[in-house]
Order: sequence, then C-alpha cells, then structure tokens
Amino acid sequence: MEETNKKRILVVDDDDNLRSVLIDKLNISGFDVAGASDGREGLNKAFELRPDIILLDVLMPIMNGQEMLRKLREDEEWGKKVKVIMLTVVEDATVIAQAVQDGSFAYLIKTDQSIDDIVEKIKGMLKM
Amino acid sequence: MRKNLLLAEHLTISSVVLFIMLGAVFASFSLVEDILTRPQRYFSTELSSEEIQFILVHISFVIISVLASYIIYLVLSLHTRTEITVFNTTKSLAASLEQFVKFYEEAPVPYIIIDKSGKIINPNKAALRFFGVVLEEIKEKDIFHYQPEEDKDRIEKLTRYYKGNIPINREEVRIVTKSGAIKWALLSIFETKDPESFARTGLVTIFDITEQKQLDQAKTEFVSLASHQLRTPVATVKWYVEMLLSGNMGEFSPKQNDYLGTVYKVNEEMIDLVETLLNVSRVEIGSVRVESKPTNAIDLTEGILVELSPQIETKKINIERQYDDNLRNIESDPKLLRIVIQNLISNAVKYTPDGGTVAIRFKESLGENIIVVSDNGIGIPENQQNKVFTKMFRADNAHNLTGSQGTGLGLYLVKSIIEAMGGNISFISKEDEGSTFTIKL
Repeated sequence: MEETNKKRILVVDDDDNLRSVLIDKLNISGFDVAGASDGREGLNKAFELRPDIILLDVLMPIMNGQEMLRKLREDEEWGKKVKVIMLTVVEDATVIAQAVQDGSFAYLIKTDQSIDDIVEKIKGMLKM
Repeated sequence: MRKNLLLAEHLTISSVVLFIMLGAVFASFSLVEDILTRPQRYFSTELSSEEIQFILVHISFVIISVLASYIIYLVLSLHTRTEITVFNTTKSLAASLEQFVKFYEEAPVPYIIIDKSGKIINPNKAALRFFGVVLEEIKEKDIFHYQPEEDKDRIEKLTRYYKGNIPINREEVRIVTKSGAIKWALLSIFETKDPESFARTGLVTIFDITEQKQLDQAKTEFVSLASHQLRTPVATVKWYVEMLLSGNMGEFSPKQNDYLGTVYKVNEEMIDLVETLLNVSRVEIGSVRVESKPTNAIDLTEGILVELSPQIETKKINIERQYDDNLRNIESDPKLLRIVIQNLISNAVKYTPDGGTVAIRFKESLGENIIVVSDNGIGIPENQQNKVFTKMFRADNAHNLTGSQGTGLGLYLVKSIIEAMGGNISFISKEDEGSTFTIKL
C-alpha cells in the first residue's frame, strides 16, 4: 500500500465473494486496493486512505451506500470531491436519482458489467 | 291517528248532509201535506201569489237540498279517495324511507353525507368503522380532515373540486384513521340536496383499497428483494469465471477452458432470465414508468446488433437494414424500447436456421413510428398463433429447436411494455416460412 505512484481504490461491498474478486482484479490491474464490508467501515477507511475512487454498493448492513455517500459529501474538503462509482444490484429510479444528486460519478448494475468493463471505467475516470 | 281524524271529518260532513236531507224531506212533506189537505186549491186555475210563493219555495228547497247533498256527496267521496291515496302514499314513502335509512346505515360501504362546505353531517356505520371513530368525534369535521399532512396539495385540489362542483370520481386518497393506521381508498362525491332545506349536500362514498395496496407493496418489495438476491450470485459467478477465463489466474487446458466457457454461457442465460423475470414483475405490478425523451432508435438497434453479434456470426445470419432517418430522433423511453427491440431481434435470430435472413425496417408514417422485424425462420404454427403474447408461451416447433433456450416470457413482456408505452404490436407468421413483427409507436 505504500507505492505512491499507484492509484488507490476502495471497494465497499458487504458481499465477501464479490468484494474479494473485485479486489483481486484491481490488484492485478495495477491498483492499490482496500476493501470494506459496510458503510461505516467504508467511511472510516475512506478518510484514512483517501482513495482516488470509491466503488460503493447500496444495500449494506450498519450503514448503506446512500448514507455513506451523503456523509462523504458532508466533508467540505476531500469527501466532497472524491470520485464515487455506485456498483449495485438496486435498480430503483429514486435510489439512482438520489445517487446522482449526491454526486456519484456513475451508477452501474453489477449484472450489466463484466469485470473488465469496471476496470476500464475506473481507468477512464482516472484518465489512465 | 290520521285515520280517526278522517272518520270524524266524514261523520261531521255526513251529519250536515243528513241534516240538509232531513230539511228536504221536511219541505217535501209540508208541500205534500198541503196538497192533500186542500187539493182543490192546486187544481184550480187561480192561485194567490202567496200560494205560488209557498209552492216555489218548497220545490226549490227540495231541489237545492237534493243538489247540495249530491255535490257534497261527490266532494266527500273525492276527498275520501284523495285522503286514502295520500295516506297510502305517505305510508309507503315512510316505509321506503325507513328501508333506505336502514340500507344507508347498514351498508358495508362507508357513506358520508357532507354539507356544502364539506363538513361531515351524517356518516353511516361502515364509515365510522372505517375511520375507527364514534359519531360525536367525526361530526362537523371536514371530510378531508383525516388525510395525512403530506397530501396537503391533494386535499386542496379535492376541496377546490368539491366547492367548484367539479365531479370527484374514484380519486385515490390516503386516510389516517384514529388509531394512526394509514388506509387507502377510492373517494367519490355525488351532489345531493338536503330533503328539508334543499341546501346542497354531498354523498361521499369510500371504497377501501388498503388490502390491494398492501398486496402491491408486498409485490414491489418482493421484486426488489428478488433482484438483490438473484442478481448478486449471478454477478459473482460471472466475475469469477471472467477472472479464470482471462488467464490471470494461470492457464487452463483447452477442455478446462471449454467447461469454463459453458459455465459462463449458462450463467449469462441465467442473468437474462433474472432480468426478464424482474422486468415482467415490474410490468405486472405496474411499477414500470415510461420516461420518454429524445431517443435514437437506430443507434439503439445497432448497439443491440453488436451485443447479439456472437449468435449472428455463429449462425451466419444475414442482417438486412432499412432505416428511416426520422427514427434517429423519436420521443420514447430508450430503456423500454431497448427491451422491446432486443427481444424481437434476438427471437428472430434464435428461430431462424443458419444462413437465414433477419430484416429490420424502420419507417415513419402518419406520425407513427413503425418498427418491423422479420425473419425467414421456423415461423409460428397457425393453431398456436393466438397464444403468442401469453405468458410462458413457447411454440411446439421452438421446443424442438436444438440449443434454443427460451423463457416464454419475452413476447409477453414486449406486448406489456408496448401497451404501457401507448403503442401496439402485431405479427404475421407462417410455419417454415418465417415471422414478421410490427410495432407502431
């Protein structure tokens, strides 16, 4: 985690299997990756590690993704600007609208994406 | 009581008649007596003026008495008949009023009578049960008093309607009962008049749809739960297999790769099925919202063709395109339109033998956007054509097709979506010659 030239990604998802395959894939693709299994842990790790991009699930125990995003945006400095990609199975118009309003950069449905697509999207957002 | 009065009235009138009749009889007697006592006087030619007067007075009196009795008899009998009719009508009116009041009071549907300002005057028992109150608590309250604060705009609208004599017919409203429970109802208000003051009143009917709403809610929750529970595992399998297939985890033997490829393909079919099931559920519970915006139907179709290119190339299907440029910018819901066109093209490819042709034609005619997808595939047997758009339909000849995995939900979904979008779909098909599906939007 100390290599400074690597871009840092935080994967926040309560599904261990999904989180773990995403972390593996992103590691292989040359990112510095951390994981969190709920919104509260995600929020703590986000402020501690200051990742370049946060991949954020919606439905999670303790604190859901929507709330974590809101709390991030409450931070006037770093949290307000950090790039967030919602990566979820929730396809609800009001949830999507709220996420867009709260400044998520993309809203992806897991089943629509191949794991390569996700890496490509991240690279695109980081202009890599 | 009224009957006794009637009897008394008749007795009085009858006595008067009897009295007059007696007078007439008396007058006749005195005349006859006078004739008998001195008949010579009446047969003589000369009568004194007093005698003539006597005779005339008596005869007139007799005639007048008889006439008067007759007139009184007529009036009396007419009066009696009217009285009887009025009495019977009143009696039956009272009975039907009683019947009506009972019907109103005991009806299982909540009814409320309100005054012209919307204040509750008379709720029936079902209404009291519906609101969970007793009469004293609800009387004089505004009819919209029990609606939740959040529905303020709606309450204002309905109040304006009622006061402006605009009919309110089966308007969906939420009602907070005394216990705090929220109920859903279809509310109608019919204009009536107060039977005494003739002032304007309203008859409110409330049709309780709470159970139906709760059921819809449960279905919606099921759909979102199912989407979570079903999508997560298939997405997990997809990404793990992709990792293995990418070679990042080490190389596999060709056979192992083959097997992984099959796992991937079947999982993709599973994803399609899950997505279709979710879409069908959304359509069925009516949660599909058509969100129209400028849409490029041609780009959208080309995107679908790219997605389907593995199947198209494997089967060497020839794709013919005939695009009207007007369809580059139509008002439509791109997400729903995509489901529709994707299903039609994928069906055409699936049910057309290797080397066959699938033609996609777009045209605009009389303000209608027409999308036609035709193929020269296996077609639909004539005796099954009426079932094409029913749920879980798969034609007999489709079952026999090797490698064809159909859910039988696609065309059902397509038709439901097209109808939600206000369009229509039709087809012509002949077995072993092909099918042509036409959508008008």
